[in-house]
Amino acid sequence: MAVKISTLEERISVPAEGDNPLNTQEYFINMGPQHPATHGVLRLMLKLDGETVREVIPVLGYIHRGIEKIGEHQTYRQFVHLTDRCDYLSAMMNNWAVSLMVEKAMQTQLNDRIEYIRTIMAELERIQSHMLWWGVLGMDLGAFTPFLYGFRDREMITDIFEETIGCRLTMNYIQPGGLMDDIHPNFVKRVKDVIAYAKPKIDEYEELLSGNVIIQERLRNVGTITAEQATSLGVTGPVLRASGVALDLRRVAPYGAYGQVDFEVAVGSVGDCWDRYWVRVEEIRQSFRIIEQLIDNIPAGKTMLSKPAKKIILPEGSHYAQLETARGILGIYAVSDGKSENPVRIHMRSPNYHNVWSVDAMTRNARIGDLVANISSLDIVVPDIDR
Amino acid sequence: MGLITEKFPEHIEKMPGGSFMLTRMDQVMNLARSNSLWPLTFGTSCCAIEMMMATGASRHDIARFGAEVARPSPRQADLIIIAGTIVKRMAPRLRTLYEQMAEPRYVIATGACTISGGPFIYNSYTTIRGADEIIPVDVYVPGCPPRPEGLFYGLLTLQRMIKEGETVRKPGIRKKPVFSALPPDISMKEIEEQMKAVLEKDSEVDVEKTRKGLTWPTGI
Repeated sequence: MAVKISTLEERISVPAEGDNPLNTQEYFINMGPQHPATHGVLRLMLKLDGETVREVIPVLGYIHRGIEKIGEHQTYRQFVHLTDRCDYLSAMMNNWAVSLMVEKAMQTQLNDRIEYIRTIMAELERIQSHMLWWGVLGMDLGAFTPFLYGFRDREMITDIFEETIGCRLTMNYIQPGGLMDDIHPNFVKRVKDVIAYAKPKIDEYEELLSGNVIIQERLRNVGTITAEQATSLGVTGPVLRASGVALDLRRVAPYGAYGQVDFEVAVGSVGDCWDRYWVRVEEIRQSFRIIEQLIDNIPAGKTMLSKPAKKIILPEGSHYAQLETARGILGIYAVSDGKSENPVRIHMRSPNYHNVWSVDAMTRNARIGDLVANISSLDIVVPDIDR
Repeated sequence: MGLITEKFPEHIEKMPGGSFMLTRMDQVMNLARSNSLWPLTFGTSCCAIEMMMATGASRHDIARFGAEVARPSPRQADLIIIAGTIVKRMAPRLRTLYEQMAEPRYVIATGACTISGGPFIYNSYTTIRGADEIIPVDVYVPGCPPRPEGLFYGLLTLQRMIKEGETVRKPGIRKKPVFSALPPDISMKEIEEQMKAVLEKDSEVDVEKTRKGLTWPTGI
């Protein structure tokens, strides 16, 4: 699919087509940056024809904090804590991406304990992220009860994080060469409790929201993007998988302990909002399945490499590593000069940045009411878009 | 003392027993105001999740303190909880939102970013170092992000301030409490000049020279 690049001024100055008196005048309206349905400070310029959306132009930068530039002044260890603040709902995976990049460049071999704990933590994070998304999707579509349910169950997972790490949201737990600290003695028991409690709750979620006629009508055949469109836009994660492309780095290029566990990659067929909904709910189940396989046999060992390097100086050249966060593929690219502790350039290929552009392809010629469902089904985190 | 004595002083003397009744009335109004704050949903980044946890979710129920009616429009809100980093592009919007709110309006700044810039204080070319450079802030809640309990403590502090009639006196304009009283024989201008001289002196640092002077403490 060819993508024509045009400037903002060009697109605004396009006149309404034809002189048909039935045509209404096209007009622009701003959605955001302060809008409750844009999940933060995303600004969307909508080109409307009555209630029909002709074009959606995302305008970014309202939470651009210059994290990549700050990263150039910091060591790799210090950069880890900034990645927490990008995609704060997959904080653990973001930490892991930096660690993976450093370990790949240094050719470090980790023991099984580190890999197992990292995998369990990342899956817990994925579950709480999807639970939050599930609640917020319900709230965006006008049902407040899912919000209460999702947040209630998510609190149990944040409690586990708090017990082991000391923080609820911005963890900074996975570090180059291992983990910040060992797991809490209660960890295994608490995780099992959560699985026993929350696994049946997923069926309850399905009963509450999935079978609802209003939700079905709001989600089915709304915001469809084909596999071809999705791949050409660089969309990853559940949004891509909903379109029928089974690209999951956990399966395609296993890292951590994903090579040793058995799980299924949820794939949709149509690529509408309903498929994206279903893929995420199924991913919660699969994440529970992964944790169940790992939690009983965490091997013994150190949680940090025996001699953690005081100074991490990567070899000269560029280094890249990527993994699957709750929203798609996150890649960390760093250029090192081989002398300094700081990277010369650090770049994040964030999943949300690439996913957000698909909102135009989804919403074109749809009703304005479907736009909220589309944004919500994308599950975007705005600080990760702007960084 | 309060809104009525501040804005309608001419009515005080005309009413029988006016000054007593109206000042009491102010206290009643402050009490009512403090217990029904309507926050604006303004979340830019991570702190917004904890704010959602505090305001909407079931475990930490902000409705116990009468501040659960989160409004998406600034015209219906009288409390803005700034949750998340404010960057240069967002700063004019924040100011607009604040000015659209009806008086009396109150501001709680949650999180390290809104207090000082937080993790983005160094080497960032966009971050505003503290939301109080844009709008006056009543209560600061530290943390990165603060726990919901921290937000509640901030809210209770604001309620106490309103009950004491503090923020009503000059609605919307609050100054930072820098110092309570000046020392007797010095003026503000002299302090500013001294500060300026110190800052100018410290602005240039010879790294090599400073490093030579530094020695590690021994005998510990």
